[in-house]
Amino acid sequence: MLSFLLWFPILGSIIIGLFPGKLESSRLRQITTILAFIIFGATVWLLTQFDLSDPGWQFSEYLPWSDFIGLSYSLGVDGLSLPLIALNSLLTIIAIYSIGENVERPRLYYALTLLINAGITGALASQNLLLFVIFYELELIPFYLMIAIWGGEKRGYASTKFLLYTAVSGLLVLAAFLGIGFLNGASSFDYDVITTEGLALNTKLILLTVLLIGFGIKIPLVPLHTWLPDAYTEASSAVTILLGGILAKLGTYGLIRFGLQLFPDAWSIIAPGLAIIGTVSVLYGALSAIAQKDIKRMVAYSSIGHMGYILVAAAAGTQLSTLGAVAQMISHGLILALLFHLVGIVERKVGTRDLDVLNGLMNPIRGLPLTSALLITAGMASAGIPGLVGFAAEFIVFQGSFATFPIPTLLCIVASGLTAVYFVILLNRTCFGKLDNEKAYYAPVLPTETIPALVLTLIILVLGVQPNWLLKWIEPTTDLFVLKVHPIEQVAKLQ
Amino acid sequence: MDFSSNIASQLNAGTILPEGIVIITLMVVLIGDLIGGRNARTWLPYGAIAGLLASIAALYTAWDSPSTIAFLGAFNGDNLSIVFRGIIALSTVVTILMSIRYVEQTGTSLAEFIAIMLTATLGGMFLSGANELVMIFVSLEMLSISSYLMTGYMKRDPRSNEAALKYLLIGASSSAIFLYGSSLLYGLSGGETTLDTISTKILASDSSSSLGLAIALVFVIAGIAFKISAVPFHQWTPDVYEGSPTPVVAFLSVGSKAAGFALAIRLLVTAFSSIIDEWHLIFTALAILSMVLGNVVALAQTSMKRMLAYSSIGQAGFVMIGLTAGTDAGYSSMVFYLLVYLFMNLGAFSGVILFSLRTGTDQISEYAGLYQKDPLLTLGLSLCLLSLGGIPPLAGFFGKIYLFWAGWQAGLYGLVLLALVASVVSIYYYIRVVKMMVVKEPHEMSDSVKNYPEIRWNLQGMRPLQVGLVLTVIATSLAGILSNPLFSLANDSVTSTPILQSTIVNTRISQGETSSSNINP
Repeated sequence: MLSFLLWFPILGSIIIGLFPGKLESSRLRQITTILAFIIFGATVWLLTQFDLSDPGWQFSEYLPWSDFIGLSYSLGVDGLSLPLIALNSLLTIIAIYSIGENVERPRLYYALTLLINAGITGALASQNLLLFVIFYELELIPFYLMIAIWGGEKRGYASTKFLLYTAVSGLLVLAAFLGIGFLNGASSFDYDVITTEGLALNTKLILLTVLLIGFGIKIPLVPLHTWLPDAYTEASSAVTILLGGILAKLGTYGLIRFGLQLFPDAWSIIAPGLAIIGTVSVLYGALSAIAQKDIKRMVAYSSIGHMGYILVAAAAGTQLSTLGAVAQMISHGLILALLFHLVGIVERKVGTRDLDVLNGLMNPIRGLPLTSALLITAGMASAGIPGLVGFAAEFIVFQGSFATFPIPTLLCIVASGLTAVYFVILLNRTCFGKLDNEKAYYAPVLPTETIPALVLTLIILVLGVQPNWLLKWIEPTTDLFVLKVHPIEQVAKLQ
Repeated sequence: MDFSSNIASQLNAGTILPEGIVIITLMVVLIGDLIGGRNARTWLPYGAIAGLLASIAALYTAWDSPSTIAFLGAFNGDNLSIVFRGIIALSTVVTILMSIRYVEQTGTSLAEFIAIMLTATLGGMFLSGANELVMIFVSLEMLSISSYLMTGYMKRDPRSNEAALKYLLIGASSSAIFLYGSSLLYGLSGGETTLDTISTKILASDSSSSLGLAIALVFVIAGIAFKISAVPFHQWTPDVYEGSPTPVVAFLSVGSKAAGFALAIRLLVTAFSSIIDEWHLIFTALAILSMVLGNVVALAQTSMKRMLAYSSIGQAGFVMIGLTAGTDAGYSSMVFYLLVYLFMNLGAFSGVILFSLRTGTDQISEYAGLYQKDPLLTLGLSLCLLSLGGIPPLAGFFGKIYLFWAGWQAGLYGLVLLALVASVVSIYYYIRVVKMMVVKEPHEMSDSVKNYPEIRWNLQGMRPLQVGLVLTVIATSLAGILSNPLFSLANDSVTSTPILQSTIVNTRISQGETSSSNINP
């Protein structure tokens, strides 16, 4: 089943990309949408078949591949990866709807979208470290092209910056994995085989740091984040949905899966440092967002902040906080996708993203009332207003990590208040006020543009009111993860 | 009677059957050209390709043959030599495919070109198995002299002339240095020319780590590093690559380089087994310099051929990691990387040739906007360049990961980390070309792409070029995913080669390593 999820989009992408003859843009869009819905249907089916009581790998598949270098084709999902895979297939559909009807060079666009979907699914489902690296780096070129072709003014600069940062990230991860494999003398890189138990603590710390920098670029953590505002702002909204909604999650996923799981004792040593880095990210993201004049840039910085919570929670390593970290990944993916989708609509209709120019979009007749209303909901969800999924996730994060790291958690709560500040600025400047009578002749928002936003809002609302529908998939797995970390952490504390 | 049968078994002439086939093909091409004149050009290249394929088939049957030593010890047809001879022959096959149209268009004789190319191939194939100092030098010169001729083949073009002169002067001096090193070896070993005997004699004598041996080593490496264009000996590469006919560059970058690596393994591992740490050290330095300089200077190139020249210097640096590792995995990762390098580089050069045939230029900036006019070329060239940069799931990624894996396993942490950084740098300049071709908008198209001629594959010699491009691109895309047969081939060629096995065991003992064996094919 996982193989289907992996290979179906790849085949679809090859067929769309290389199919001889001319295809019209709308036909391509139809075909891709159908494929994306099939993929989504398959993930939903997978969710229904998932055994909630089993915290380990499910739907495992194993094929030997290259024994010489310890690479095997082994897939499997657990409570950490399955929700992210579901998020990935959902956001793929949103990204197809978000680009607008008449995308230039549609063939390449849709082929790359499907390829990205496959790569992310592959990375999340890999049970072999080298296989993970393959999929992790597979994302590089499609995203580079996505930014470089369908981006804004400075797309050349932004895409190259993204490419180099991400390539470095991939290589650091590869180096750390090779290190784990060889210093242990393991002949296979299968996740179940590989351990770090035989290593000296210093070696583990070095490897974990390398891993942290590698994944920290992708997340991104504060000193390593400078590619993000450029890439997010210059990419089209649809690409940013994939980029921020799901690619960034590969970083946190990798950190929890490979950092927390493979190095439990080293993790508890560097945990305070991680919590500080996370807190700095949160504060930095929020404060920088306040200063921005461009909506996309604002949302991009907000994304840095929200990813910081995940790091604080993962560093705390309690049952509740790890659960919160994963929930925050999902919630941030949904909210970011909604925000960028709406920003994309505003940009297309109004023609600007400048906060000093936008005004009065709430106007029921000549403005974009539904879009503005949804934008307000999304801003509230992002700022952590109860009743929406953002609050549920953040609350679990704070609750879980307070006992371990009280000061960082308090600072995060403060930053959560700052989030509300810049979203109010954003909403105030865009939705409220008066329309400019000279310029305000906007094209109507089509249903195909609104429906994805409505669906996302619905999911955000439902999961906010009933968070258990999200948590029940994650909880058994994160509980198992923490069992590994916690005893050692206690020991470290006693010492 | 007994004596003559003994001689026959000592000669063991069946070992060089693949080379014999190439010689016959060479003769057929030359005589066919004399008899048939210009009319013969329609079938001659295909005859040459058929001959080379027959030679590869003969190599296949010789795999794992029990008696590999031939010509009284002058030639060793072991599995390692078979792999390298196969790589060289295969690179000639693809080069001929791409040269048909290219040479035709310049109005020179195709048959003479192919004849020289086959001579170079022959030299490279003999070099891969040569086991004796004179034999090594003769085949090295056979390869070099034909390479000079091919480099200057476009004799009306001043750049080609200049490249030939430069290559000749540097090549002849490096051969002389190599020869001086060889003669020192002959003297140090008390008059032995066969490599294994040299090794035993030197180990037995007190000169096993003498200054004389060190000088011989350095002189020999000067000759080898010239062939593989390792950094202090690389200066000819960019100029020769830019000036020579492009198919020749394709051959030099794969065939001639593979021959150089074959020579490096055989000569260094056997004759210099007593000072293995010293040449590992030298090659570490060469690898570091090549990776840094090759990849950094390639950033600043504007000509496609020049960029690929520096890239081939950088790629040689990656391959040298395997040589420095000196383990089973190290040698077989070299073999594997050279195999996939063949597909990647020849695919890239096919694309370059195709573009320059249609537009007459090979400046990188002239590729802008190509995706609209020629999607097949864009796809093929992009895949090959990305594979050279090591992007999964293409062949180059698996080649690199195997090299890094082997290097890491042998404890060369610094070298592997440097290689990782160098490959990020390399991604930047490879993707620059992809960006030109794919990302540019229609209004940013370069002049040559605006005036791009209509694509016609039915011109004389275009079809083989297309076949070569498609086959190499398919191989580049799939050789990574379906890499197991190639991995096994590379591993078997190393593990079943006695000379490598004895040295690897020696090294282990000498270094007092207790680590258990690493890979089990």
